[in-house]
Amino acid sequence: MKNLSFLLVWLLPSGGAWACAWCRPRVQAGIHNAAYSANLALVLLPVAVLLALGVGLFYWDRLRPRFAPGRAAA
Amino acid sequence: MQPLRAPARHRTPLVAAGILLGAGLGGFVDGIVLHQILQWHNMLSGQLPPDTLVRAKVNMYWDGLFHAAVWVLTAVGLRLLWSATGRADVPHSGPTLAGGLLLGWGLFNVVEGVIDHELLGLHHVYEYTPNHLPADLAFLGFGVLLLAGGWGLVQAGRQ
Repeated sequence: MKNLSFLLVWLLPSGGAWACAWCRPRVQAGIHNAAYSANLALVLLPVAVLLALGVGLFYWDRLRPRFAPGRAAA
Repeated sequence: MQPLRAPARHRTPLVAAGILLGAGLGGFVDGIVLHQILQWHNMLSGQLPPDTLVRAKVNMYWDGLFHAAVWVLTAVGLRLLWSATGRADVPHSGPTLAGGLLLGWGLFNVVEGVIDHELLGLHHVYEYTPNHLPADLAFLGFGVLLLAGGWGLVQAGRQ
């Protein structure tokens, strides 16, 4: 019983750290596959839209003259 | 003698900084509450269900990249807020900043909800049900409410 308790105490904290030691290559293969660039673009797309919106709004006073109707003719 | 005119006040930079900060913090709410605590979905759980340890860890990687991206959003918002508060023509208005924060959170929900949930199908708000629409619509509806609240606060900041 004492040995079993010792085994449990030894296994509990180490379980998380070692649970996937053997599957790391498969995890890496699952991340860095042919779809990596596409996945990266898709995951970052909403954040990029929000970033462009916020920064564009912040500098709107400077950007507005560039979109003024008379500018093209000038 | 001409009357003295008050200098023009520009609230747009403060609203913009608030939007970026609100969107970043809203992204953290999504990532921390829905991805990690409730575990309703992961970034690619619509395409790669986390039903094995390997798949869960692959999703964890993409969740991490999402968190990194919203961290950048928050940091840029903080930088712009610093820049805005240093300008004499930008009013020091709490309601305007609070409105910007709510607008940002609402925009996050709407933009992420439309792009990731509806257009791309990367994931849905609550993945473990055959009918994803109710939770997806609730997420979008909450975003619209935040937008309305934010707009109201920005308007209140005019006074």
